[in-house]
Amino acid sequence: MRTDDRALSIQQQLRRSAAQRRRRRLVGHALVYALMIFLALLFMLPIFWMASTSLKAPREIFAWPPEWIPSSPQWGNYAEAFGKYPLARYMLNSAILVVANIVGGLVSVPIIAYGFARFEFPFKHVLFLLMLSTMMVPGHIKLIPMFWLYQKLGLIGTYWPLILPAYFGNPFFIFLMTQFIRTIPRELDDAARIDGAGSWGILFRIIIPLCRPALTVVVVFTFVWVWNDFLEPIIFLRDWDSYPISVGLAFFQGRYSVEWHLFMGATLVSILPILVIYFFAQRHLIGGLASIGIKG
Amino acid sequence: MKYRFTKKAVLLVTLLLLLLASVGGAAAQDPVTITWWTLASAESPEPAIRAVVEAFEAEHPDIKIDVTIMAESAYGDLMNTALGAGEGAPDIAYFWETPWLPHTLDITAHLEADPDLSRDDYFEEYFNNWAVWDGKVVGLPFTVGANFVMYNKDVFDDAGVDYPTADWTPWDYIEIAKALTDPDKRRWGGDRPRGPFRAIWRNIGATKPYSDDSATVDGYINGPDSVAAYTWLWDLVDSGATPTPADIEVLGTEGTGPVDLFIAGRLGMATLNNGHMITAANAGVNFGVVPEPHVPENERFVHAWALRASIWAGTEHPDEAYEFLSFWAGPEGQRINMEIGALMPSLPSVLADYPDAESDYFQGFMGVLNATQTAEWRASHPCWRGAVIRSVSDAWDLIMLGEIERDEVQATLDALVEPAQAALEECVPRLGG
Repeated sequence: MRTDDRALSIQQQLRRSAAQRRRRRLVGHALVYALMIFLALLFMLPIFWMASTSLKAPREIFAWPPEWIPSSPQWGNYAEAFGKYPLARYMLNSAILVVANIVGGLVSVPIIAYGFARFEFPFKHVLFLLMLSTMMVPGHIKLIPMFWLYQKLGLIGTYWPLILPAYFGNPFFIFLMTQFIRTIPRELDDAARIDGAGSWGILFRIIIPLCRPALTVVVVFTFVWVWNDFLEPIIFLRDWDSYPISVGLAFFQGRYSVEWHLFMGATLVSILPILVIYFFAQRHLIGGLASIGIKG
Repeated sequence: MKYRFTKKAVLLVTLLLLLLASVGGAAAQDPVTITWWTLASAESPEPAIRAVVEAFEAEHPDIKIDVTIMAESAYGDLMNTALGAGEGAPDIAYFWETPWLPHTLDITAHLEADPDLSRDDYFEEYFNNWAVWDGKVVGLPFTVGANFVMYNKDVFDDAGVDYPTADWTPWDYIEIAKALTDPDKRRWGGDRPRGPFRAIWRNIGATKPYSDDSATVDGYINGPDSVAAYTWLWDLVDSGATPTPADIEVLGTEGTGPVDLFIAGRLGMATLNNGHMITAANAGVNFGVVPEPHVPENERFVHAWALRASIWAGTEHPDEAYEFLSFWAGPEGQRINMEIGALMPSLPSVLADYPDAESDYFQGFMGVLNATQTAEWRASHPCWRGAVIRSVSDAWDLIMLGEIERDEVQATLDALVEPAQAALEECVPRLGG
């Protein structure tokens, strides 16, 4: 009996402690979720403010107290923004530039990185360092020589200055890809070579399929950088209808004032493609970044 | 056989000659293309720019205009890159930055030979201060701009304060600003000046940072008039009736003044310009315009400007470029921009036809347009901003941040005489006195 009581007591204690653990876990989860929800809302505030501003009249934008949800939403702001400048055309232009740059990156980066990661050739390390050193040169410094060069080539006013560099490899992506390929066991190359594959066959059949996380990083980063690029399009493009959306948005900032309500509406629409691509690519992107070792 | 061959050869040569002649003839008649970089803005929107090109090309079928329309925020980078590269700059553009001046074409002879346009057609001071450099005409003034005080009538009515009048003084400004300020409504009475030695400095005591011969700082930058102006600034900051520089940075429009706060009714008065005036009118703000305050016995100054429309010195077609420049910045081009956009033309004969000429705000603007410009002195003293003002920015910052007491203003300025004098002596041999 005593033994039974003791066993019962132990069972009750076990149940209690299990219940306590569950409660603690539940509270822990609730706290974590509350924190995550709070942070998510905090990070969404600017986008919410942007959406709110896009529906306000100019006098309401900086009014105090601020009106988070406009009492009379000005839906016409969107039509006005898109009617004032050819923003749809600009978004299409941005999409063309993004696709052309992504293709360029996907063609050039794996080939160059494969060379650095798998082959021995004279001055390999010097060339790799030289390539890395180009990352240290601020972009602004290169603008005048690039402008001069493209002017000589007669390419100013075309998309070529914005596309061509991608086909010669971006040093940042080459560095990432080289490091990634170095983590792939060489035995796979050897096995493929024994089976009769040449270097190109190994690259396209073995290396590239295994590099999907790194290639996702190339695609997403290229998308975001090219979509947001402002400086190079303003230097190299000349035609009103050829500007990307980043330049189109700048038209809302005049010499004396900013048309905030139109600017916010146009910006909100312009970031939608980035949000959509991030939504679909985030799993690969986070996996890719983690596997390459980039944080933040 | 031989005869037939010769006949064919003659025919072929004749055809070739005819072809060459036609090609040569076509080349001689090819229109000259002039490149033009400009900005799309509320004053000169894209449709107005297109209309200028269309009207010009209709009048000059032998000249084609290749226009690039840029955003304001992109323009400086584009010009700096092209001028830095030494090629690829446009035949015609705004050359508003001082470092761009050496890249402009001297059009003195073109203008003197022009039967349809002369410098007398423009507002005199705007032409002299903005189109003439180093004794040469280096452009034409396109549009005019000026600072003045805009006051929000609804805010004045709400606070029960009388509207300001043109004879007000800088000290009236502080008192009115205090009366309009309402912390509960997060409302400030007026804004702060955005730099020393602008109009209000000159209006307080004709203050200059150094002597007319560009030799002496002592007695000017720390002279009684300068001390009075800086003390006025100290009083304004101390009143709590103005937004801090941080408030303006966060809440105001970047680099263009606190027009957003003014439109929202959170700033009773603001020193703005005619571009802001159009923005506020379009936003439906009930406002008036007065000149910046001044001491009655002193001459009234205005901080005013024009956009310098110029020809690039490297142009291959100076005559055709001048044809277009004189059209765009002449009566026809400015009228098109005034009628389609909201341009304030730099030609009195065109400005007289301004569509909203009867409005209170336009009349207020006209009231300041002909005051003496602060640029009159500054334009002939290139060292004032680049060297001297920079060297005395400490006094400005200390007052703005409330870091010094009122009775320390004189000592603060005295301490800056030495670095300012050194800056002046370094600058004058380089840029001229």
